[in-house]
Amino acid sequence: MEDLARHIADLARKRGATFADVRVLHRRSDSIMVQDGRADKLAAYVDRGIGVRVLVGRCWGFASADSLQPSRAEQCLTDALALAKASEKFVSDPAMIAAVRPVVAEDRREPEVPPAAMPVKEKIARLMEYEDAGRKAGGSALVNSIVSYADGQREEVLANTAGTLLKTSGCRAVVNCLMVAGDGRILQRGVEHRGRLGGAELLRQTEPEELGRRAAEKALALLKARPAPAGRFTVVFHPSITGLLVHEALGHNAEADGVWAGQSILEGRLGETLAAEAVSIYDDSTLPGEFGSYAYDSEGSASRRRTIIDRGRLVGYLHSLETAAKFDAEPTGNARADSYDSRPIVRMSNTFMGRGTVAVEEMIRGVERGIYLMDGHWGYVFVQKGQFICHAGQARMIEHGALGEPLRDVSISSMTLDTLKKIDAVGDDFEMKMPGMCGKEGQSAPTDTGGPHVRVGDVVVGGQHAA
Amino acid sequence: MTHQSYLDICQNCVRRAVALGAEWCDVSAGSVRDISVTIEKTGIKTADAGQGEDVAIRCFVRGGMGYAAATGRQPQDIDEAVERAVALAKEAAPDPDFKCLPAPEAAPEVEGLFDDAVAGMSVEEVVRIAAANIEAARAMEPEVNLSGHVGLSVGEGALASSTGVALETRGTEIDADIEALVKRGADTGFFYDFDFGRFLADAQLEAVSRSAIEGARRFLGARRIASGRMTLVLGPLASAGLLGGIVGAASAESIQRGRSYLCGKVGERIASPHLTIVDNGLIPRGARSGAHDGEGTRRRPLTIVDRGRLASLLHNSYTAGKACAESTGHGTHSGGISPTNLRPALGQRTAAEILREVKEGIYLESGEIRPDPASGDISASIDFGFYVKDGQIAHPVESAMIGGNVLDLLPRLDAVSSDAREEPGILMPTVRIQDVQVAGTE
Repeated sequence: MEDLARHIADLARKRGATFADVRVLHRRSDSIMVQDGRADKLAAYVDRGIGVRVLVGRCWGFASADSLQPSRAEQCLTDALALAKASEKFVSDPAMIAAVRPVVAEDRREPEVPPAAMPVKEKIARLMEYEDAGRKAGGSALVNSIVSYADGQREEVLANTAGTLLKTSGCRAVVNCLMVAGDGRILQRGVEHRGRLGGAELLRQTEPEELGRRAAEKALALLKARPAPAGRFTVVFHPSITGLLVHEALGHNAEADGVWAGQSILEGRLGETLAAEAVSIYDDSTLPGEFGSYAYDSEGSASRRRTIIDRGRLVGYLHSLETAAKFDAEPTGNARADSYDSRPIVRMSNTFMGRGTVAVEEMIRGVERGIYLMDGHWGYVFVQKGQFICHAGQARMIEHGALGEPLRDVSISSMTLDTLKKIDAVGDDFEMKMPGMCGKEGQSAPTDTGGPHVRVGDVVVGGQHAA
Repeated sequence: MTHQSYLDICQNCVRRAVALGAEWCDVSAGSVRDISVTIEKTGIKTADAGQGEDVAIRCFVRGGMGYAAATGRQPQDIDEAVERAVALAKEAAPDPDFKCLPAPEAAPEVEGLFDDAVAGMSVEEVVRIAAANIEAARAMEPEVNLSGHVGLSVGEGALASSTGVALETRGTEIDADIEALVKRGADTGFFYDFDFGRFLADAQLEAVSRSAIEGARRFLGARRIASGRMTLVLGPLASAGLLGGIVGAASAESIQRGRSYLCGKVGERIASPHLTIVDNGLIPRGARSGAHDGEGTRRRPLTIVDRGRLASLLHNSYTAGKACAESTGHGTHSGGISPTNLRPALGQRTAAEILREVKEGIYLESGEIRPDPASGDISASIDFGFYVKDGQIAHPVESAMIGGNVLDLLPRLDAVSSDAREEPGILMPTVRIQDVQVAGTE
């Protein structure tokens, strides 16, 4: 793989590319689904290919092929050069690249238990334990249960015209559990998931009680919950919701490609105080074992910890080689490509809010009437408008400083800058358990997010009846 | 070496899988070639091209499924995938609900799935469409910030099974999706538009930036509103999302597993008589058209909601076998269920007339109104909506949300427009729902 990558990078230099990088990838993954007591769907995937990116004059070209044959790889280079030249006269914002420090290295992250080292039967048996725990907890109310597991190994070689030759390999594993419960009147879902940088050891580390049982208990609790009221409330975020806020509302806005393109509300705001003083937000791809961690990004920049918000003040964006050049900043190792057939773009890794000083009980005690949002499910953002949406699977009313009745299916919508300023308490706790695949421009990247509990004043809640 | 057709590859894999012990097997193989030009900051950012092939093998042993897929066409990768699929099927738990894979069913080809004009387009021609959007945008709104993509894909493939299915398909698609951001001082208006077609002649690709800018201008001056119960009018893009979600909940897999809010409702009224939704995968030139589904079952038009009544579920071969019913032709090769072209029945009055009758409400031009698939609860943001007062659009809305349960809202659906946005094979009318809870911040 490395000979091919180096050969194409050398050839790109000879053919006049200002800069080029070549990524050769080989990936294997396996998945198992257990549903309603049967592991009846097993799958395996293999893909390999090459992606060639060139900077010619003022424009980028990129071409990929699902083959490691030298002739196909050379054709990719020819195509990428032609694509860049075909577009050049319509470029309004010339492409740039930061000075690249060549890296010649090998980083192999061997999982404790490589996927192939655990027999399929053993994986199935463990998934059945998760499902059994859920079914026992759910009892007769449980109508459907799905436990799925996937692990994947990725081997990659990166070569560029600056002399980088980087060989990396790694493995990720995820396990998800969905329990659906019904009472004859309504159905409710409980979801739990775990994901790690590593292999099948995830199954040994994850106990049935914390996955299957917790998912079932969530579904059961939701059957007793009533729809949320609609209107403006003081809200307290569980760390999973804080994670959605950090990732969706702030993180995407801090991706420097969007900032440079004029599509972020953080454009031109470096150095400004945008959040309450208790708020600090980081992106860190070096955290051992976390789902969003990696050693080098897809351009060969080493992983690191980046501070985005420091005690309320915006101090940095997340950069690729190109955005670092445009902003005259240091690359931050945030350029990631999800496969050989996609270009590296600016992505988050593990993004989180730092711990504060307020005890959670104290935070809730200070709310006369509000909502405690838990169990972050999903979110999305319009970076151009600065608007974000988060969905909580579970919630509780807060009445007179104490947790009250359970609520179900609650989303909130707010403006990022308003919300960051309205944070009036940051908890002294911390949790980051939101491993997931973040989507951007048709690509997926493994990320994690979290933080402490936080309290925010005056947020609009999409409920079903008047407050 | 003789170049094997995709059908040859599929049939060879089926033979080998059966020899290795697969009781049932189907194999798909094919290729896709694509070009994509990215627009950023009202200029071209990059042009990308890719081509890939893949083979996917699905085997069943005592009903347990093993599935393996590989990219490329390296014989050793394909052989390994066949062996893996069979081995996984043998390791999978037996599933007595699996009955059989579909038998071959002849069906006339659906016209208009492949356009030589799209297949023959060069990168320069795709770049030219992107450039035309940029030029039109600059002429219309010099300071606009335009972004998006123009792209095409050309695919061909085959499907073969141990029951004798042997099908070959090919198709083209070209599309443009453009986002426009306009500013007036501190005020920002943002919107998007798109167009696509299997035929170049079916899409007005060079006009997309104009409609995106017009949309962005309409969203300048957003204001907050007060909470209350009011009328909700879903424009074509918003109604397509909601109705698509309802059809998704009518998947027989979700119903048989007991996890859909439509469980136990087949034959029952779930919406007002104004709502009829037909799924038709046989529309010539339709975006999701084809003579057969991903398992080789012949497609046929299916009325899912008939004047408010849940009339049919979407089946693949597995769910049909379990229910002792016929597959409706909505199977995917990986075992899922997917709708095709959705065509709600149109009403009697135009969208403008429907809007004019609204005393107070929201006109949602676009937004993610997706009910929870189990409970049917909706808690959604008004992403691109306007406040409506006395039949007139008053202003765009900021920071407001909609709440309710889809099974409470659908009976209050009191109008479907007679006019609709039409995309290849797909109809998107305007839909009105009365008495919806809106949460505002005013």
